[in-house]
Amino acid sequence: MSTELAMKTEQLSRIYKAKKREARGGEREIIALDRVDLEIPTGELFGLLGPNGAGKTTLIKILTTLLAPTGGRAWVAGVDVAQNPWEVRHHINMVSGGESSGYGLLTVEENLWMFTQFYGIDGKTARRRIRELLEIVGLVDRAKSRIYHLSTGMRQKMNFVRGFLTDPEILFLDEPTLGLDVQTSHTLRGFIKDWVRKRPDKTVLLTTHYMHEAEELCHRVAIIHDGRVRACDTPGNLKRSLQREVVFRLRVTAIANPEKLFQHLRGVQRFSHTDINGHTELHFILEDENALPPILTVIQQSHGKLISLEKLDPTLEDVFISLVGRGLREDNASEGTTEGDRR
Amino acid sequence: MRSPTRWEIFWRTVMGRAYPRVIGAQRERSWLFFETLLPLLQVSAFVFIYRAIQAPPEFTGFVVLGGAMTAYWLNVLWSMAAQLYWEKETGNLELYIIAPTSLMAILLGMAIGGIVASTVRAVAVTTFGLLIFRVEVSVVSVPQLLGVFLLTLLALYGLGMLFSSLFLLYGRQAWHLSNLLQEPVFLVSGFYFPVRALGFIPALGASVIPITLGLDAMRQLLFPTMMAQFHFLDVRIELGVLAALGIGFLWLARRALSYMEALSRREGRLTIRGQ
Amino acid sequence: MRQRAVESTRSLKMATWLGWQIESNWASPFLFAIYSIAKPVAGALILVLMYMIIAQGGLRNSLFPQIFVGNAFYIYVAMVFMGVSQAVIEDREHYGMLKYMYVAPLNIYAYLLGRGVAQAIMATVAVLIMLLFGIIVLGIPMPPATIDWGMLLAAWLFGLAGLAFQGIFLAGISLITARHNFYIGAAVAGALYLLCGAVFPIDVLPKPLQLLGQALPLTYWLEALRRALLGDGAGELLSPLSDRVLVLILAGSTVLLAVLSMGFYRWAENLAREKGLIDRQTMY
Repeated sequence: MSTELAMKTEQLSRIYKAKKREARGGEREIIALDRVDLEIPTGELFGLLGPNGAGKTTLIKILTTLLAPTGGRAWVAGVDVAQNPWEVRHHINMVSGGESSGYGLLTVEENLWMFTQFYGIDGKTARRRIRELLEIVGLVDRAKSRIYHLSTGMRQKMNFVRGFLTDPEILFLDEPTLGLDVQTSHTLRGFIKDWVRKRPDKTVLLTTHYMHEAEELCHRVAIIHDGRVRACDTPGNLKRSLQREVVFRLRVTAIANPEKLFQHLRGVQRFSHTDINGHTELHFILEDENALPPILTVIQQSHGKLISLEKLDPTLEDVFISLVGRGLREDNASEGTTEGDRR
Repeated sequence: MRSPTRWEIFWRTVMGRAYPRVIGAQRERSWLFFETLLPLLQVSAFVFIYRAIQAPPEFTGFVVLGGAMTAYWLNVLWSMAAQLYWEKETGNLELYIIAPTSLMAILLGMAIGGIVASTVRAVAVTTFGLLIFRVEVSVVSVPQLLGVFLLTLLALYGLGMLFSSLFLLYGRQAWHLSNLLQEPVFLVSGFYFPVRALGFIPALGASVIPITLGLDAMRQLLFPTMMAQFHFLDVRIELGVLAALGIGFLWLARRALSYMEALSRREGRLTIRGQ
Repeated sequence: MRQRAVESTRSLKMATWLGWQIESNWASPFLFAIYSIAKPVAGALILVLMYMIIAQGGLRNSLFPQIFVGNAFYIYVAMVFMGVSQAVIEDREHYGMLKYMYVAPLNIYAYLLGRGVAQAIMATVAVLIMLLFGIIVLGIPMPPATIDWGMLLAAWLFGLAGLAFQGIFLAGISLITARHNFYIGAAVAGALYLLCGAVFPIDVLPKPLQLLGQALPLTYWLEALRRALLGDGAGELLSPLSDRVLVLILAGSTVLLAVLSMGFYRWAENLAREKGLIDRQTMY
């Protein structure tokens, strides 16, 4: 990894002014990004981790010149994105998850060829790269298929190829495996890892809300929430920051009002809960193991039954919970926290 | 590998973007029916209106020519002006913008693709219209006729590019604007009657739409005797104005596109969908 | 049976609301007002100018009021055709919602008809503006005391229903063709303009086309409207038909159109299901 910076932001902000009828709770301004400072050296695979609405896509849109910042500055490949957007575009490409771009009546090959023309790539080179990349992602036998015949996974593979076709210096991957099955996601992640490993002069900015994806792929991760970067370090260092605490996962029969039950307990730093198939999964970050017995007592007193108990190594989700105060998973209908004063 | 020059990127983009238009039309051929037979029937309606009121036979020729040119006007309104709106909705627009190419090149590619399809329609309407209704033409000058036609297209598609910059910002509101421009332009540009009938000043105002002068000039070059009493301006003047309009619209389109793109980027409208 | 009636009503109501939301999605009401006036008036003025340049007596030509009324009501044709047929392409290609409509327990015919209602409302405004323009500016005589209101209402209702069913027919075609047929409604309306006597008596057409014109419900619809408003139709061919017969023809053709259009749409649906066309996007 070099010390040269591929991307840099300084107090980068983006504020949207909401129309009166759209304003939430009377607020007329929506702060999508709030004074973000980042430095990403060349050769890094940098992850941006956060829930939906955290500001990940807004940041990518600014860096890819689709959106202007309302405050601060940003540079990509040393070029100011607001002053010289056209110059920036020579250095970048982007792949978004859940894309439906392309022309249905054209084949995979034709769509990809068309996009290479926007980058001035000659026909021979374009066709060679298309073939190579389609082979790598396992789509070569569908090269002559029209796009509207492709499944979602195949379409995303095609979009992936489109992003890598131009061999960009800096590649933005915005939730690239969103909505894909395990197999396809695995294939694409392997592809990304391999691409970065073989090209130390290339940089990737990956946004995701899948913890394991960030842990598996990224050299460094920034955790973003409500438009602000809450932490930025290697996944290992972030997890080590929680090593002083102890993490437990308990599965119990469904209990009501878990927030009321656990929030006053000594030693509980943070917790979150999820209802899964009629059970409640409780996730605790404790000061130490002595905080566990009172939790078990409370469960018993509230007529709950302990189904399983696991002691865990801290994960990025735990880091997220400790920073933000709740879990990352959006399907948690009833997450709650204790406000984490150490007891 | 050598980096491509700016011009290389420009021309490759034009060809690349024209490709889906040309190929797409070949892969689903239902348009052949809708773009040839149906417009011919529509033109025939106006021919019969003139027959019902016993107009001179040259007026049939006026209508056939006007009907042929509607192909280009509709193509400009819906496949140029509105196209960036559709591209935004499907997510293609953001991919165009982050590419190191210009929106002018993208639009030019669309224009070329659109011209191919519209020309099929225009040729079908003209040929069958002239044959079926037995219209007699006396071509004054083929080079002038070709010149008028090409300059009209240049100016017209320049105007289309200008409209497309509005759509970049205004989304569905601009779709309604396109709708609004359909019939009124059929009226003021004299698609179905000599524009001189509107009066000199209104016709002058309407001349900002390139088809107005284009149609008038083509009618003069094809039906010189009848147009002697109905023509608006001399053909040479109309040629000059069309050339100026072409250059003017293309320049304005370039300015407007970069202004609108910057404005859309500031207001976050480049990626809004579902309007 | 009851459940189907409930489903149909719900579908119709929802689709009408949705169609109105889409059509009334204007940022500027002022622009919307201009649009509602400018479009129909421009169409009328084309005819006016054609008559002024060429016809004997100009606007006082005896044919002009009939032609004007025909042209005014023809606004319904394009707008209702487009409203119903475009719903399929819009929902499929633009909003990506057609597949969800098909997954939901709704009556697709009621849904399509509902989507056309908003266009029908806008067309009604445009037609009224045109008629007022004709009466006030062009001096076309249409005193309320001489209008046959009963016949006007019957013709209007049967005609609109017939148009809506023809729109469903076009929606079926839209289901199995690509996005470049977005304007199939307007294109077909433009073609029928020739054959139905909207802007000239069908007597002027060559014999084979006259026969085609006489086979179209639209021809009788316009004739009935002219008689109701002006006391007289256009041309000689249809003059032997009494008012009663005209209305009966309209009623019968509406029923026939309902049966044929729904049958065709069902066939198109089956074909679309076989070929996987319901959620395809062809945009280019």
